[in-house]
Amino acid sequence: MKIIVLVKEVPDTYGDRKLNLETGLADREASETVIDEIGERALELALKYADANEGTDVAVLSLAPESATSTIRKALAMGAGSAVHIADEALRGADLGLTAEALAAAIRRVEFDLVVTGNLSTDGSGGMIPAMLAELLNVPLATGLSSVEIGDGAVSGTRIIDSGVQQVSAQLPAVISVTEALPGPRFPNFKGIMAAKKKPVETLTLADLGINAEDPDAARSIMLAVAEKPPRAAGVKITDEGDAGQKLADFLIENRLA
Amino acid sequence: MPTPASGATPLRRGLPRVPGGEPWPPAGFAPAPVAAAPPAAPKLVSRSEAPAAPVVPTPAAADEAVAPAPASPAPAPAVAPTPAVKPPPAVAPAAVEKPGKPAAEPRLYGARTLGQWTKRMILLAVAAVAAAGILVLAARGVTTLPGVPEFLKKYPGAYSLPATAEPGFPWWTQWAHFLNVFLMALIIRSGYHVRTQQKPPAYWTPKRGGKKISINLWLHQALDIVWLANGLVFVVLLFASGRWVRIVPTSWEVFPNAASALLQYMTLDWPVETGWVNYNSLQQLMYFIVVFIAAPLAAVTGVRLSEFWPKNAKTLNRLYPIEAARAVHYPTMLFFVVFILIHVFLVFATGALRNLNHMFGGTDAVNWAGFWLFAAAIAVTAAGWYAARPLVLAPLARLFGQVSSR
Repeated sequence: MKIIVLVKEVPDTYGDRKLNLETGLADREASETVIDEIGERALELALKYADANEGTDVAVLSLAPESATSTIRKALAMGAGSAVHIADEALRGADLGLTAEALAAAIRRVEFDLVVTGNLSTDGSGGMIPAMLAELLNVPLATGLSSVEIGDGAVSGTRIIDSGVQQVSAQLPAVISVTEALPGPRFPNFKGIMAAKKKPVETLTLADLGINAEDPDAARSIMLAVAEKPPRAAGVKITDEGDAGQKLADFLIENRLA
Repeated sequence: MPTPASGATPLRRGLPRVPGGEPWPPAGFAPAPVAAAPPAAPKLVSRSEAPAAPVVPTPAAADEAVAPAPASPAPAPAVAPTPAVKPPPAVAPAAVEKPGKPAAEPRLYGARTLGQWTKRMILLAVAAVAAAGILVLAARGVTTLPGVPEFLKKYPGAYSLPATAEPGFPWWTQWAHFLNVFLMALIIRSGYHVRTQQKPPAYWTPKRGGKKISINLWLHQALDIVWLANGLVFVVLLFASGRWVRIVPTSWEVFPNAASALLQYMTLDWPVETGWVNYNSLQQLMYFIVVFIAAPLAAVTGVRLSEFWPKNAKTLNRLYPIEAARAVHYPTMLFFVVFILIHVFLVFATGALRNLNHMFGGTDAVNWAGFWLFAAAIAVTAAGWYAARPLVLAPLARLFGQVSSR
């Protein structure tokens, strides 16, 4: 079984994150960069399966600036067998469509059984990459799985939706995305960190993948404006002096909340 | 050139992809919907050469709509009197970028540059030497005051121990002392990490469940337990062996003698060292404070701050608020650090080889044996210091719970 896990380098949510107010792109200097936690959870899922099933090949795939290599190595330290890193200056500010095209092209280069992704990144919050990948790869898609069973030739899981819980399954090869309900990532051990230094990391450019980022025929998203989030204003405190209910109702009506 | 093939709709342009760059995508026209002519490559060429005069104002307008927001340094292309002028702006931003970088500022270490730090350090050193000089002169002045020489004679700095006191340091004192060196170094370090590190490198969750704590706090508390056990064994043996009289004052004379010893230290005419048999009173008081006051204080306040403390015991928590513990725990550490500095300084300044032989070699001889044992103890401590990193701690912490990176 060949499992490809998508990981993304993101600014650490632990500290302040900033957008460059001129380009609207994430300011990677402003905060520490880490693997997005949801990607680590996706990797943990694949690694758990690999631990239990001999002959499972787990590879991580990431589209990130060249500087992200050390972040990707952390995924290898956790236990992934190999990594593919798509890095190209032309991908700066790439929209979801172009990103998905590049990822799909990289996935298509190998025979795969399962692609595991997180449901949503903490920086872009797009959440559309899994669907786009499934479309481009022409395989089934199961999104937002809060538990996953990888079986022989099929993957199944539960999906929490507004009205209840869905049990879904799909034939392999397939793309799945997982939620934060999945177990957290393992802490890399010494052996893993040493081994990660020897594991292969293949770096690909768009030319290797046969993708033209500037193709004028393809529609691409552009960003028109970006602004800093205004500081949070202090809220209104209502103290109960016997008429708190009335005050609360007044407040709601005044702010057109009721 | 087949100009019309590239369509007449100008491309919508957004924010630049690089700071100081042109809006993205580059100015151009959307491909014509009909596949009559190959649109891609020729279009770009045609834009820069062909006199597509009537359409130029439109992209210019689009430019202006976007330009104000990013405050782009090159709004020049917006005017575009002739399309042929367009290429130069493409070069311009690159030229702008270099001078745009501010001239290298001196590197800051904390709030100051290296030069400022050096100046400050020299000033501080001069001030310290001056202050020490004044102190010594003042102390010497005090010894000439009426009554003081008599006081120094009556209280030479130490009083005689009870007859039961045995000289020397048994093996268990040496071991307890070494373990204390090792543990205190790591406890202070991990405590400092707990206090200052905003994002710990890893976390530990107890096996039975419970609150997740940083791996530094886990190390701090694990070492604390070993340190407490070491202290307990030491105190029990101390009293069982009767050697407690060495570090617990047995006479009120300890106070005038300690004052006398302090004055003698300050005059740089130090009291005679008899550490193998009897400490001077200042030493005795300090060791007593360290073992029987500071250490229990650190433990009692530490337990209050830790997860071991019952959170829901209301009366208990009102009588002993966590703020009080926090206010005492840190100064206690500072006391230990100051004590260690002075202690080590005096050990080396009052006959290093002999003193080291006392506590590390267990003999009163003057040779290098104690020094090498001391060096080995320092090496082990340094190794522990170096090893106290997540990579090494994680497998240890995993024996007692779960380790995670978040």
